Amino acid sequence: MVIIVYSGSFRKAFGEALVEAGYLNEDIIVLDADTPKSTWTKLFANTFPHRFINVGISEQDLVSTAAGLAIAGKIPVVAGFSMFLMRGWEQIRNTISRDHLNVKIVGTHSGLSDYMDGASHQCFEDIALMRVLPGFIVLVPGDEIATRKIVLEALLEHKGPVYIRLGRDNAPKIYDEFEEFPIGKLKIIEDPGDIVLFSNGFTLGLALEVANELKRHGISTGVADVYTVKPLDKDGIIKLSKKVNLVVAIEDHSIYGGLGSAIAEVLSESYPKRILRIGIRDEFGVSARSFSQLIEYLGFTPANIALKIIEVYA
Amino acid sequence: MFAPCVVGGDAAPILNNDFLRSLNASLSDHISLDVLEDKVKRSKRRLLNLLSKVGGWHSWSSLSSLNIIAVLFSSWIAEGYAMGVERLVVVSKGHAAPSVYSWLVEMGVIKESELEDFATPWSRLQSHLDALRLPGIVVYSTGSLGQGLSIANGIAIASKIDSIRREVAVLLGDGELDEGQVWEAIATASALKLDNVIAIIDRNMVQHTGFTEKVKPKEPLAAKFNSFGWYVLEVINNVKTIHSGLRTLSSINGKPKALIVRSNRRW
Repeated sequence: MVIIVYSGSFRKAFGEALVEAGYLNEDIIVLDADTPKSTWTKLFANTFPHRFINVGISEQDLVSTAAGLAIAGKIPVVAGFSMFLMRGWEQIRNTISRDHLNVKIVGTHSGLSDYMDGASHQCFEDIALMRVLPGFIVLVPGDEIATRKIVLEALLEHKGPVYIRLGRDNAPKIYDEFEEFPIGKLKIIEDPGDIVLFSNGFTLGLALEVANELKRHGISTGVADVYTVKPLDKDGIIKLSKKVNLVVAIEDHSIYGGLGSAIAEVLSESYPKRILRIGIRDEFGVSARSFSQLIEYLGFTPANIALKIIEVYA
Repeated sequence: MFAPCVVGGDAAPILNNDFLRSLNASLSDHISLDVLEDKVKRSKRRLLNLLSKVGGWHSWSSLSSLNIIAVLFSSWIAEGYAMGVERLVVVSKGHAAPSVYSWLVEMGVIKESELEDFATPWSRLQSHLDALRLPGIVVYSTGSLGQGLSIANGIAIASKIDSIRREVAVLLGDGELDEGQVWEAIATASALKLDNVIAIIDRNMVQHTGFTEKVKPKEPLAAKFNSFGWYVLEVINNVKTIHSGLRTLSSINGKPKALIVRSNRRW
């Protein structure tokens, strides 16, 4: 029996990892658009006040200022709500991507995680927008430990533009501290049987619960963490897909352009296979008093998702 | 002198480029302003010739920027070098690229014959300035308006963190000031007291559709910059006044600076 506890915090893990990285490399400069309390860059701001810049509520300026810092040799980390960083998408595209600058962009409060703020804040489009950009790496950690490891890897080891998609809180507890997360690989958490579930971010916890539910119905189900959306681990995806009868992608992102789309692109080109995409189906979010209230309202519960999968699988 | 034509950078700092240093050093010999004016005249003919081959692509914008580009590249950078200040030109109005290319020929940085290939797929002389194809000279790839001042701020912040004596001049179009991001960056430069940033506004009174004050009024322009906490100077568009304006600005500390370069005549 798998019991997933969503007691972690993506943003807190990010804030702590930033400080850790700040000690290890003094070229790291953190920029925020007046959200350091929300993104937890406040930890870095308190530790390294001279390497922290709050540009005020101006995301376009935020992104381009970071580009300038990278041009001058710094390693700027841009933090903000994923939704509002997308306000600077054209700046990201035309400067950071085009000139392949060493800027790290970290979007917090993505997907369903910002349950209270509703449709304006719940960003289901960022992976679609970021994975089309030449040269960008797109990473989506599934829990606190993955967040810390992936942030450190992206900031200290990888040279080039990176987008990291994070939730707010409600991070599942999945990994132990010895787990490694090399860029460009997927991670098999449970071996596939009849079905394989591909997921990342907080929905990775959900996928593990769904797998458990399916097993109770006699359907053996594997789970893989696709924390690198770009570059996608094509070989890993094809290899797992060959073993199963149905491929499923689960994400709190639009079914257009997200992880499910990325996997469908690979499969339809190299190994045609039916894929079920569980995600946000061409709609906006809504306010809720709690994370679980939103999850239930949208039918993002393990039982409901398992039911949908069984309908297709049967 | 340049790296070969490349697409896709390696995420190395663009300023970490020997060419920038060699440019600073090679220009350390002062050119008299009279000589500079003669060179601008010659360069203007070259520019008109180039523009005529591409259907007058953004002609007005390139022509009104030529004096500014000439003074920045051939005088301002050199004078900074003599004072131990590394100076850098960020061209935010990227469609003035033909003007930059014409001047680079004058400087001997690129060959006259290379202009023949302007805006062709195999040329490093792209329609809009491209940082990966002209590393060292072009600070960031342009074409999208309103971003250069933010980028200059970023470079200026990095320079202050590292205690490097570096000044960044940003060439902005007056039409470009319609972009909201410019005003975000104007506020940021002021908030952070970036006195190593100099915004130069090519106030040629025209934007794509026509007369700027008809499309969307820019005036009172100096008062706007002033109200954001900037030091502002207005000059008319010729080599000598631009030069003396920049010299005056170099002695101002503690706040960002703007030079509004006015022209009323048709180019």
